[in-house]
Amino acid sequence: MKNSLVKGAALLAASVLGFAGLSLTPANAATKTSVTVYESSALSSLNPSTPATNLVTNTDVVYPTGMGFAYYDNGGNLVRNTKFGTYKITKNVTGDFEVTYTIKKGLKWSDGTLITGQDLLLSHILASSDYSLKAGLGDTNVAPKFDSGSYGGPYDSHTTATSVDLSDDNYSVTVKYDSFQPDWAILGPGPSPVHALVALAKGKKALQTVRTNASYKNVFEDAFYAAIDDCGTGADLDQDCQDAKDAAQALLKKIGTKWSTAFNITTVNSSTNPLLLISNGGYKISNCVDNVSCTLTRNALYNDGPAITGNVDTIVYKYGFSEAAAATALNNGEVDVYDGQPTSAIYAQLKGYSGVTTVTTTTMTYEHLDLRVGTSNTWPDQYTNSCPSTYTGPFAGNSQRAKDLRTAFLLTVPRQAIANLEIAQLFDPSSTAQSAVLNSSFLLPANKAYAGLVKSSGISNFIDTTDAQRTANTAKALALVKKYYPSAAAGSNSVDVTMLFRNNARRIGENALIATEAAKAGFNVSRTGNAAWSTQLNCNNYDAHVFAWAPSSVSQTGTNANFQSDGSNNHYGWNDATVDAATHALEGSLTAAQLSATYLAAEKAIYANAWSVPLYQWAGVAAYNSDLKNVKPSPLVPNIVWNYWQWSY
Amino acid sequence: MLAYIARRVAIAVMILFGSTFITYNLEAYAGDPLLGLAESTAPNKEKLIAQLTAQLQLDVPPPARYFLWLKGVLGGFIGHFDLGVTRQSRSVLDEIASAVPTTVRLLTTSTVLAIVLGITLGVISAIRQYSRLDYTMTFTVFLLFSLPIFWVAVLLKQFLAISFNDYLQDPKINYLAMLVIAAIVGVVLAGFVSGSRKRVLITWASGFAVTSGILIYIDQTRWALNPSLGIFVIGVCGVGLAYGLTYVFAGMHNRRALYAGLTSAALAVIMYYPFRALVPASAGFPQLLAVCLVMLAVAYFVGFFFTKIDKGPVIRVSILVAFLTSMLTVVDRLMQTWHSYMTDPAVDGRPVQTVGPMNTLLQTTDFWMITLDSLVHVALPTIALTLVGFSGYVRYARGSLLEVLNMDYIRTARAKGLAEREVILRHALRNAMIPLTTLVAFDIAGILGGAIITESVFGWHGMGSLFNVAIQTQDLKLLMGTFAITSFLAVMATLAADIIYSALDPRIRIGKK
Repeated sequence: MKNSLVKGAALLAASVLGFAGLSLTPANAATKTSVTVYESSALSSLNPSTPATNLVTNTDVVYPTGMGFAYYDNGGNLVRNTKFGTYKITKNVTGDFEVTYTIKKGLKWSDGTLITGQDLLLSHILASSDYSLKAGLGDTNVAPKFDSGSYGGPYDSHTTATSVDLSDDNYSVTVKYDSFQPDWAILGPGPSPVHALVALAKGKKALQTVRTNASYKNVFEDAFYAAIDDCGTGADLDQDCQDAKDAAQALLKKIGTKWSTAFNITTVNSSTNPLLLISNGGYKISNCVDNVSCTLTRNALYNDGPAITGNVDTIVYKYGFSEAAAATALNNGEVDVYDGQPTSAIYAQLKGYSGVTTVTTTTMTYEHLDLRVGTSNTWPDQYTNSCPSTYTGPFAGNSQRAKDLRTAFLLTVPRQAIANLEIAQLFDPSSTAQSAVLNSSFLLPANKAYAGLVKSSGISNFIDTTDAQRTANTAKALALVKKYYPSAAAGSNSVDVTMLFRNNARRIGENALIATEAAKAGFNVSRTGNAAWSTQLNCNNYDAHVFAWAPSSVSQTGTNANFQSDGSNNHYGWNDATVDAATHALEGSLTAAQLSATYLAAEKAIYANAWSVPLYQWAGVAAYNSDLKNVKPSPLVPNIVWNYWQWSY
Repeated sequence: MLAYIARRVAIAVMILFGSTFITYNLEAYAGDPLLGLAESTAPNKEKLIAQLTAQLQLDVPPPARYFLWLKGVLGGFIGHFDLGVTRQSRSVLDEIASAVPTTVRLLTTSTVLAIVLGITLGVISAIRQYSRLDYTMTFTVFLLFSLPIFWVAVLLKQFLAISFNDYLQDPKINYLAMLVIAAIVGVVLAGFVSGSRKRVLITWASGFAVTSGILIYIDQTRWALNPSLGIFVIGVCGVGLAYGLTYVFAGMHNRRALYAGLTSAALAVIMYYPFRALVPASAGFPQLLAVCLVMLAVAYFVGFFFTKIDKGPVIRVSILVAFLTSMLTVVDRLMQTWHSYMTDPAVDGRPVQTVGPMNTLLQTTDFWMITLDSLVHVALPTIALTLVGFSGYVRYARGSLLEVLNMDYIRTARAKGLAEREVILRHALRNAMIPLTTLVAFDIAGILGGAIITESVFGWHGMGSLFNVAIQTQDLKLLMGTFAITSFLAVMATLAADIIYSALDPRIRIGKK
């Protein structure tokens, strides 16, 4: 007590003695020039193109450091970037389909080196298994030197090792396919600073002169072609050619190792090798702290993409904390941009902040319900050895009975209630609003052909927007079940249906709604499965399954694998000649009208066979500092960052 | 003894083997690393699944795969210790090496604070058993004990970060808030005194008056924008500390201790200006440490100089006064950095951040600025962890001391006329601390286990958050790496606690049945 009295007296004395009267005004906040973006997981690599590092955060962080021939906007449209260059089909005859990519002259990497067609060659190495094999870079199934995640796609299967031509002026590259590719626009090459890769392979630790870099580019180009030269064998062996080939392959192997591993850094500071940080986007990486944040600053030489119109000098990615913590950080001004899939609690929290704009978004990921018809075309795989070898459930086969039971089950699916639960009620549990149901298995509503497709595909039989429709659908379902189980009635448990089930909040809610409604038509819905849900996809021990497809691009052929009789995503033994014909047609060249007709044919067959119904698109939330203009959430990766050049305070 | 340790180590090895085997298989069977790809519609999905299956050796059944992992760990005996790579191709060992310093930084202060504060309050509570103070303390401790850390974190973020930052935009204190704060401080102070109602009321009133005075001063001078203590306040505090610490450790009759304390305080105050020159902005932590060590050495000799017999208490007082007063000088120096820190464009007038261990936009080489930044960021999680962590210590220390105070030898000590201070500090406290060894050993070993929730809430990437990420991303090798290290430490901590226990208490012989 004594002490506190003494202290207090002293403080008061001090204030009288002269500190009083000292008056300060709060710091005047200058206009902000940095934008901080929240990422839920930490940066793991500056190269997001290997299978292990192909993660949203890595992609988002390097997105502002790169530019190519096109980018996706927030409507999911592919926008051509004419400031970088142009691309067009230069040949389209049977068995020969060519696309030429031309880079604009005079564009520069952030180290001052010119961007040329040589920089497009690496893309071919990264996507062609044939090239990898011929150039001695390894079988792409088992640890190739370039550990790329791009092998195995349509580019890989329709090009050969020698499918890329570089023009004489070095600014154009022509890719040759063996047939027309409907998704040709998204298969093309993107630029990589090959001079830096050569310098890395040579063990350099600093930026090289423009002159050296130009020579490195030629070194790379020579190696690219020499590595797959046919030098003959036996007596015909051209030794000079073989020596050059060996040297080229050795160089490419070194480059491959660097490409696969050297960029796996999460700390960037003044001692980081600058060769790893070369950019041709609006920003370049200047500083990253392991597991904390990554800071990007303006690239002064940027002129190969949309002009930066805002006053944002610095983009910071912050990571390593929960979404709830991110919301609080947004309130405290530490985070400016947030994009996620939060709970109703976080949404309410975000909504309550002043100075923060919160919007709900629709993602590309969509939920769907599938019914098993037979054994999967990819069965048996390593996970299904404990599964029955044939499917004997109520939906098995193509008999009228199986079709009717499948139709009946799909009719009972309360699609509107499920959408309401996972969209409107996700943000506000007491909401009674009607949410958007997805009504096509091939197209999302943004597509022009969507409305027409919905009208005539037969999905209208499964629409249950009003309570009357819901009751009518269930009644129809019960009637169908009664054809085979005369005693069927609400709660009669006449038909046992097992659902593959993943134990998370979303699926628990959906399964409960489905089971309740199906019971009214005499179905007894039980569930199987555990956390290792994806390993049971091909297992014959279940009849129905709700899960989501998460497309990463918009493409004409992207849905084929789901429904083709030999498709890799067809886990249910679906097999229908009409659908196969339609999906094969989608792989070719079609006019807009033909395209609509093809989708329609496929969907009609799918619903007539009662294989699957789409449910809804997942909802998301974006929130950002209200002072920051032009923030536009986008459904495709890199999501909300896609138009960083327009951001402005 | 050696045989005992050998036996314990052998058991520890078996425990580690069993626990890692069970954890490995639990996680391998529960998790689904292919989950992300299952929902993908990428055209090259099959290739990606094949690549991932090969990378994670998913074609080997988990019980067998465990031994592949164990092989890498046991490789440590032949110099090839290998915890594998994470799913994102980073070395697990590197990940752990980067997480450990963060965790240590985050948890050391709070653990030490929890131990020191907890034991101190527990002892006070025991000495004043069944007093108003004891009841208040018990209530507070149970309240804190039952608080979930994530909720404490949210409250701290709201009030100490967001509201405080808002306050700094226009540093005016609401008069009602002022009265409430002053009243609460008064109640806390009154809780500490015992005696007549009059004494309690006087304490409350003076606490109320002084606090309101300070708050008015802070409000009127906008002290929060450019705070400092000044040499005068530090001097007054130093004198107060000298009196207070002498009272606790030596007794006011021990004038030598008081003089030593006052001399130390005077020395620390004299150092106020030289200190600024000795540890300039261009300095680093070693310089600060060196100055502090010199200060403590001088204080030791001051204590030594003032005594002839029974040096312990005098030197203790002298060193503690010197240390605490010097700390005030350091705090003052940091306060003087506050204004330039706050007006830095990176901070933009909102200094207290809710996530992350540092402000990465801050570009400065100023030692004091960096230290301040680091302290501002570590403050919230430290407060949260300390609040939740110290309650246990209060209860244990109180119970343990009460038990000892009821023993015969304490009655003997009192009977032979020892001062109460001697009885408690010299006879009771030391024995009362023995049972706490186990607790302390566990908590210290637990530091490296990290704090899963706190780290995730405050955005600190330590061991806890690594463990969390490993579970969320089904990263088996990362999970096993962190688990192996934390379980190893836990097992070693029990062993260490047992050995220390027997060293502290000769009645306990380890190894004897």
